[in-house]
Amino acid sequence: MIGYSKFTLDNGLRVLVHEDRSTPLIAMNVLYDVGSRDDEPETTGLAHLFEHLMFGGSVNIPDFDTPLQLAGGENNAFTNSDITNYYLTLPATNIETGFWLESDRMLGLDFSQKNLGVQKKVVIEEFNQRYLNQPYGDSILLLRPLAYKVHPYRWPTIGIDISHIEKTDIKQVKDFFYSHYAPNNAILSLTGNITGKRAYTLSQKWFGPIGKREVKTRKLPAEPIQSEERKLTIEKEVPATALYKVWHIGPRLSSDFFTLDLITDLLAGGESGRLYTSLVREKKLFSELNAYLTSDIDPGLVILHGKLMKGIDIRLADEEVKKVMDHLKKKITDIKEMEKVKNKYESSIVFSNTSILNKAVNLALYELLGDPEMINNEVDKFRMIDQEMVIETSRNYFADTNCSTLYYKSTKENK
Amino acid sequence: MNTLQRIQPPVFHIDTPTVPEVLSIKLDNNIPVYLIESGTEDIMRIEFTFKAGHVNEYLPLLASTTNIMLTEGSQNYSSVELNRQLDYYGSFINLSTEKDRAGLVVFLLNKHIEKILELSMEILFRPAFPEDELQALMKKRHRWFLVNREKVQNIAMDQFFESLFGKTHPYGRKVVESDFEGMTSALLKDFHEKYYTPENMAIIVSGKIHEKTTILLNLFFGKISSQKIYIEDARNRLKSFNKKRVHVPLPGALQSAIRIGSQTINKREPDYTGLKVLDSLLGGYFGSRLMKNIREEKGYTYGISSYVASFDLSGYKVISAEVSINNTQKAIDEIYKEIELLQNVPVEKEELTVVKNFMLGEIIRMFDGPFAIAESFKSVWEFGLDNNYYHRLTEKIKTIDSDEIITLAHTYYNVEDLYEITAGSK
Repeated sequence: MIGYSKFTLDNGLRVLVHEDRSTPLIAMNVLYDVGSRDDEPETTGLAHLFEHLMFGGSVNIPDFDTPLQLAGGENNAFTNSDITNYYLTLPATNIETGFWLESDRMLGLDFSQKNLGVQKKVVIEEFNQRYLNQPYGDSILLLRPLAYKVHPYRWPTIGIDISHIEKTDIKQVKDFFYSHYAPNNAILSLTGNITGKRAYTLSQKWFGPIGKREVKTRKLPAEPIQSEERKLTIEKEVPATALYKVWHIGPRLSSDFFTLDLITDLLAGGESGRLYTSLVREKKLFSELNAYLTSDIDPGLVILHGKLMKGIDIRLADEEVKKVMDHLKKKITDIKEMEKVKNKYESSIVFSNTSILNKAVNLALYELLGDPEMINNEVDKFRMIDQEMVIETSRNYFADTNCSTLYYKSTKENK
Repeated sequence: MNTLQRIQPPVFHIDTPTVPEVLSIKLDNNIPVYLIESGTEDIMRIEFTFKAGHVNEYLPLLASTTNIMLTEGSQNYSSVELNRQLDYYGSFINLSTEKDRAGLVVFLLNKHIEKILELSMEILFRPAFPEDELQALMKKRHRWFLVNREKVQNIAMDQFFESLFGKTHPYGRKVVESDFEGMTSALLKDFHEKYYTPENMAIIVSGKIHEKTTILLNLFFGKISSQKIYIEDARNRLKSFNKKRVHVPLPGALQSAIRIGSQTINKREPDYTGLKVLDSLLGGYFGSRLMKNIREEKGYTYGISSYVASFDLSGYKVISAEVSINNTQKAIDEIYKEIELLQNVPVEKEELTVVKNFMLGEIIRMFDGPFAIAESFKSVWEFGLDNNYYHRLTEKIKTIDSDEIITLAHTYYNVEDLYEITAGSK
C-alpha cells in the first residue's frame, strides 16, 4: 500500500505527496500534460525539443542545472507521445531548491535564441544517434505511419524528420510554452522524506503565485478502424532480417488494457514466455523475439518484433508467429501459466515501488489518468483476469485486419 | 502582489553522507556472506559472485558462455522448467560476466526464499550444459554479435580496450566471428569446475533480512566443497599498443564514435579518490566541462561523458561521445583543449564547489535503498576494500583544492599517453 495525500492549489496545480521516512532523499516530479501528440503535423518534434529548452534558463535563473548540483541534486526529463515529465532528487534538507527551480521555469523561460540554436543541433545529433545511425533504428519511423493514418501517434516523439527540428523558430517555442505549460496543466508529485504539511507549505509558497493560463484545448483526430491487413517490406544493409508486427488496441483506460498486458506477458514475459520458448528455444527461428504494449493514453498498439536466425524465410517466421497468436484465441491457457504471469506482475510492482522516483512518476501519471489510487489497485485488476477473458480479448484484437506487418530484410543475407 | 524573492537560491546545506555498515559472516564451508539490512518491503537481492570473469578464460567467450548456460538446464530441471519456476515465484535474475568476475543476482520475494535458494543452488552448482542448448546459444550469440558490430560505439570501445590492454589479454581481446565456433559442453564443464567453486565465491545479501536467512543460506550453500583446487595461469600479460591513434572504418555511418583515454590507477591506489573528482570536473556529470562546452555550447553531440573504471589488474579512464562526421575533429580538438585547461588554469572556487556538492549528493544516492547499497559495497569489496573507501572519498571531496587538481591533471592526463580511437566513416 502506498499512502499519499493530495491537494490542489488555487491556480489548478495538483500536488501528490507520499512520505517514505526510510530514505534521506526526496524525489520531485513535474508532469506537464503535453506530448508529441500535441505537435502540429508541420512541426513534429516540438514537444520534445521544448523539453531540452526547459534547461536553458528561466525568468530569474539563468541555468537550471548548476544550482541543483550545488544543492547535491540530480535531474532529468523525458517526453513521450502523451506527456513531458521532469524529475529530480535532492537530499531532503535541500528540497526547497527544487521548488525554487521548478516553479521558476513554470513561471516562464528566458527564450534565448542562442539556446534554441544549440539545442536544435543537440536534438539533431540525438535523432542521428538513436534513429539513423543504429541498425534497425528507423524501424519505429516506418511502423508508426503504417499503423496510424490520422492520429498524431503516426509520428515518433523525436519528430518525423530532421527538417522539422531545423525550421523551429523562437515564436513557435513561445506559443508552445504559453499554450501548454501552466499550473493548471501540470501535476506535481513528491515522494520520500517529506511530510504532507511541508509539501503543502512549500507548494503554496513557490507555485501558488503563478497564475492560471489558458491551455490549448486538445482536439485530436480519432484513428479510423483499420479494415485490412497492412504490409510493408524494405531492404537495408543490416546484418539480419527482422520482423515487426503491431496491432491496434484500445485507450489506456479501456477495460481490456490489463488483459492485453497479461497476454503480452504470456507471450514474452521473461525467458519462459511462449514466443521465446516456442520460436527461439524450440524451433530456432529467431535469435530474439519480444512483445509488449504501448501504454499510450489514446488507443495504442501491441508491438511484436524479432530478428531471424540465418537462412530462415521471413514468411515462415511470420506464419509461426501467427500460430502462437492463434493458440491464444483457441486454447484455454493453463491455470498455472496464468498464475505465473500474475505472480511475476505483482512482484514487478513491488520491486518498482522500492524506488522513490518510480513512485513519484507513477503517482503523477495515475493522477493524470484520473485516479492516483490506481497505483494501489493495479495488481488486483491484473489478478481478476480469467482464462475466458484471454481468449475473448485475443480474438478481438489479434485479427489480420487489425495488424500491420513490416518485413525489414537484410540485403547482406540475401546476397 | 507577489513579493516572493526568486532571484537568490534558497539556503541549502550539504550533509556528510551516511555510509551504512555491512555485517560479515561465514557459512560452514567458509563462503563469506555480507548482510545489508535495509528497506521497507519484504524482498531481497542476493548476489552470488565468483572469480570467473573474462580474465580467467583460456578461450574467447568461454567465461560468458558458461555463465549464460547456467540457466539452460540442470541436474533436476530442464531449461524450460527452470525458467518457468523462476518466473512462477516472481523472481528476477541477472546473469553477468565482467572482466574479473561473473555471477548471478536474484531479486526475490521473501515468502519464496526457500524455493529460490534451491533453484539458485541448481543453477550455480548443478548445471547440465546440454550440448543442443549450447549450440543453439552460440548461433544466437553470433547473430547478436553481427548486429552489435554495426554500431560505432561498440566498434570504438572494442578497439579502445584492444589498444590499451593488448590483442591477447582477456581485458583487450576483441571477439571475432570464428570465436562462435568450436564451443563444447566439455569445455564449459571444465571451466565451471575450476571457477564456480566455494573458494571462489561470495554472497552479498541486501533487503529485509530474517533470522532464517542465514540458516537457509547455510543449508543450501554451506555444505558444498570443491572437487579440485585450480592454480591460476599467470602467463597473461597486459600489453598496450604503441600506436596511439586508431580509426576503425564503418562505411556509411552518419556519426563517429570517439573514445579517448588510457590505462590508469584503480581503486586501491591512494590517488584514485582525487582522480574521481578530476574526472567529474572534466566529464563525469551533466555540468562537466566537456558537456558544457561540446554539447551545451557547440551542439556537436547528444552527449559526451567521461569515467574512471577499475579492473583487478589495472584500470582505465575514457572520454566518449558520438559526433556527426563533420564535427569529429573539432570535438577531438576541444577535448584536448579542456584537458590542457585543467592542467594549466586553476579551477575557480565556484566550479569546484558545484562538483564537490554534486558528488556528495551522489554518495547519498549510492546508499539509497538495499539494492544501491549492495552494488556500492560490491564495487569496493571486489578490490579488497570496504565501505571505509567511501569515507576516504568523502574526505577527499571535501578537502581537495585547485592545486591538487592541477597536479592530478598533469600526472594522470598527460596528453602523450592518451589513446585516441574513432569509429565511423571518414
